[in-house]
Amino acid sequence: MFKLRYTLPAILLLAGAALYFFGSQPEETIVHVDMSIREEVRVPEPRPAITYAYLPQYSHKVSYLRHSKLIDYLSRESGFTIRQVFPDTFEEHRRMVENGEIDISFSNPMTYVEIARSGARAFARIIEPSGSPTFRGQIITRKDNRAITRLKDCIGKTWIAVDPLSAGGYLFPLGLFLKHGIKESEFKEISFAPGPGGKQEKAVLAVYAGKYDFASIREGTLNVVRDKINIDKIRIIAETESFPGWVYAARKGLSEKVVNKIKYSMFSMSMDNPDQASILYQAGMRGIIPAEDSDYDSVRRLTKMLGLDEGGVK
Amino acid sequence: MTDLFSRLKFRTKINLGLTLIVAFTSLLIAIFVIRMSSDALIEQSRKRGEVLAGNLALRAENPLLSVDLLNLGSMVNELKKADSEIEYAFIMDEQNRVLANTFSDGFPVQLKEANESVGNKISVVTVDTGKSRLFDFAAPIFLSDKKLGMVRIGLSRSGIHAVVQNLIFAIMVLTGAVLLLAVLISTQFARQLTLRLGSLQKHAEDIVTTHLGPGLRKDENKDENITDKFKRIVSNPPKGDEIQELTETFDAMGMSLACHIEDLQITEADLTRQKELLKTIINVSPDFVSLLGPQLTYLAVNKTYAEHLGRSEEEIIGLTDAEIYPEETAAARMEEARVVLETGRPVNKETREPETDDSPPRWFHTIRVPVHGQSNNIIGVLSTSREITELKSYQAQLIQSQKMESIGKLAGGVAHEINTPLGIILGYAQLLQEDLDPEDQIAKDMSIIEKQTRVCRKIVADLLGFSRQNESEKITMCFNNSILEVVQLVSHTFKLEQVRISTELDDRFPIIHGDPEKLKQVWLNLLSNALEAIDEKGNIHISTQLDTASMTITAIFADTGHGVEAKNINAIFDPFYSTKPVGKGTGLGLSVSFGIIKDHGGTIEAVSPLPRSLRNTLELPAKSGPGTLFKVTLPLDELSEEEQL
Repeated sequence: MFKLRYTLPAILLLAGAALYFFGSQPEETIVHVDMSIREEVRVPEPRPAITYAYLPQYSHKVSYLRHSKLIDYLSRESGFTIRQVFPDTFEEHRRMVENGEIDISFSNPMTYVEIARSGARAFARIIEPSGSPTFRGQIITRKDNRAITRLKDCIGKTWIAVDPLSAGGYLFPLGLFLKHGIKESEFKEISFAPGPGGKQEKAVLAVYAGKYDFASIREGTLNVVRDKINIDKIRIIAETESFPGWVYAARKGLSEKVVNKIKYSMFSMSMDNPDQASILYQAGMRGIIPAEDSDYDSVRRLTKMLGLDEGGVK
Repeated sequence: MTDLFSRLKFRTKINLGLTLIVAFTSLLIAIFVIRMSSDALIEQSRKRGEVLAGNLALRAENPLLSVDLLNLGSMVNELKKADSEIEYAFIMDEQNRVLANTFSDGFPVQLKEANESVGNKISVVTVDTGKSRLFDFAAPIFLSDKKLGMVRIGLSRSGIHAVVQNLIFAIMVLTGAVLLLAVLISTQFARQLTLRLGSLQKHAEDIVTTHLGPGLRKDENKDENITDKFKRIVSNPPKGDEIQELTETFDAMGMSLACHIEDLQITEADLTRQKELLKTIINVSPDFVSLLGPQLTYLAVNKTYAEHLGRSEEEIIGLTDAEIYPEETAAARMEEARVVLETGRPVNKETREPETDDSPPRWFHTIRVPVHGQSNNIIGVLSTSREITELKSYQAQLIQSQKMESIGKLAGGVAHEINTPLGIILGYAQLLQEDLDPEDQIAKDMSIIEKQTRVCRKIVADLLGFSRQNESEKITMCFNNSILEVVQLVSHTFKLEQVRISTELDDRFPIIHGDPEKLKQVWLNLLSNALEAIDEKGNIHISTQLDTASMTITAIFADTGHGVEAKNINAIFDPFYSTKPVGKGTGLGLSVSFGIIKDHGGTIEAVSPLPRSLRNTLELPAKSGPGTLFKVTLPLDELSEEEQL
């Protein structure tokens, strides 16, 4: 049935194909490296530049993504070399401003009030995405949490806040509770979002996950987490009064000339310019307007009420 | 090679074939599996490296931004610790300055440029350190289109190679095991198969040794004959595989053949018997039987015919008439046979074979008939020839007798009518003579008339005697005496003619019932004929012989005369047949004798020349002819038989 003259070539062909297949190697680039030639690695020195820091409200990555274009723009417009630095915590940020490691600080009003004591002076503030130069704190819970419908329902519940120094994320809501006669001790637990960045998001996610009964966040945070969770399942219980928004402050001793150039560059940005508009959008703002230290007196009053005015950083 | 292969045992062939097939298949599969597995492993390793590098790049983003060298350092060291296959890991900033690495004693300078990633994709190159090869993964850290730095990981390939080596070893071991198992199974399988084949061979041997009948097993009935066994096997076929079935079929075939051969042997014996019978019948037949083929060659002849031709049957078969008979005869015979072959018309004829020195002419009645084949075509000619010489002789005699009888009647009638006028003529002639002077011329003439009338009366009387118109009066008489009386009467006259008569008569004096005068007339006729035949001098020998067995008496008259020619031997008894010149004889002598002897219930025949045996007994004169012999046989009288007793 199987003739040898047909079978044998078939076998040889099959064997040949197998050997060819066995011998074939996937394509790869080979680089010869002499591992014996070595050198000592030295810690690279940063080049001299004006340092710019964003209060670590979010992760470093988000901070970088939000502000890298703005910093590029400011560098280009002012002619200075501006480098963004990333303090891990609010406290570190404040300390770095005090130590002169951060030349231009972009912080929340509470932190500004803190650093203003070391001589830093506000020179600009932002217009929030809402179009207002002010912002609020929000108290949120899960929509299906029937136990919390009013502010008073929060008594005896677990609270996740952003940071002890977070304005919208803790201090504004804390002021609101105090205003309503609810003291810190009346809550079952007050926790703060862990880690160095992304604390606003973490607070929302913690409530969303049901880990805490309610959370306090900055206004606008829900939009940031819109693509991470279904925000329809979140209910806003209460909102604080409006406070002046985030503020640009120059450290004590920073050259006025530098501050002016940067101020000029900032104020010249307009939403009408598409390029600038995109920079502003990315930075989570709609414009930068001039500011003075007195603009933040309302915040100082709040800190006083909260008992933070005498350096009571928790 | 082929010769060597063909000499191998079937079991070895199966083992070898299966082993080769399994080995080849296993090897082929092993090659593919090893190749695919090692490729998959390498690919998996690459992907793992890519994941590790990408992961590290992601984790390094924040420390890189915050220039947290401690964090970066711990990240790469932890990674290296966590995975033994990771040879090295390091992180570079956007200016390709190494921020953190796992090298404890200086950083390899050439390694920095070994892998340049393009865009934000992870690039993989194989780094050949001279001692070993490893995969180098370069994962760039991009943030908002800005390259912050790059993560590099070196993944050892020795681990993958070890796994691949282990895989190859495992597959080889597995292949070996499968091969071993296949050989074991095939050995068992081949053993089973060859057992059956061996059984088949045994059956075949049995069939050969027991003359086609399969050998009996121990548990089988020895008295059972082959036909019954065959029927039993056909009606209850045993269960088994193809070879078993083949074996049984082989048995059945053998038994079937044995049955057929038995039948054939019986039929052959029957046919042989029939053939012998037929041959015997044909051979004992006095007829000449022969069968001619389409080519007119002899296919068969019977013994009689073969003897007639003077050859053996084997010599004749295959010959044609042309090789057996003289040219003229052969041509005639072959033409006849051809006509029968072509037309299918049978030939029925009588033929005369010319006389030879040894034998007189012989007559044959030949029938040639066509022999038809199965498709009704003519395939031969069957000839039967029967000798009818004797029959012909009897026929001639019968014709002769009838002729004589007719003539006798005719002559008797004529003689009877003439006898009366002749008497009147004679009476008137005698009366007239009385009236005339004897010397007178008229009286002399009348005397001549009277004399001639008497001659006529004599002739008429003879004719009457021949036709038995005149009834004879038969009495009991002595046969020898009637002959002796005639001999005495003529002996004197014969002596004058120098003819000697000798007699040798049976001394038992046979008595017959006959007419003495008429018988004397017969003897006288025979003697006078003998005298006529002897030209100058000679002998006449008369002998009588009594045959008590057939109750006959035979008289033989032998002379030394000129004899009778063979062609005339049968004509001498015809009336008016005579060799004598005109006027000398009437030609009625022998005819009358024939009539008288016939009237006595006997026979008369002539033989010429004399038989050799008789010639020796006669004292023949120096100048004598072949001689003639007349043999007269008469029945004996019954009374005389009693007297004999």
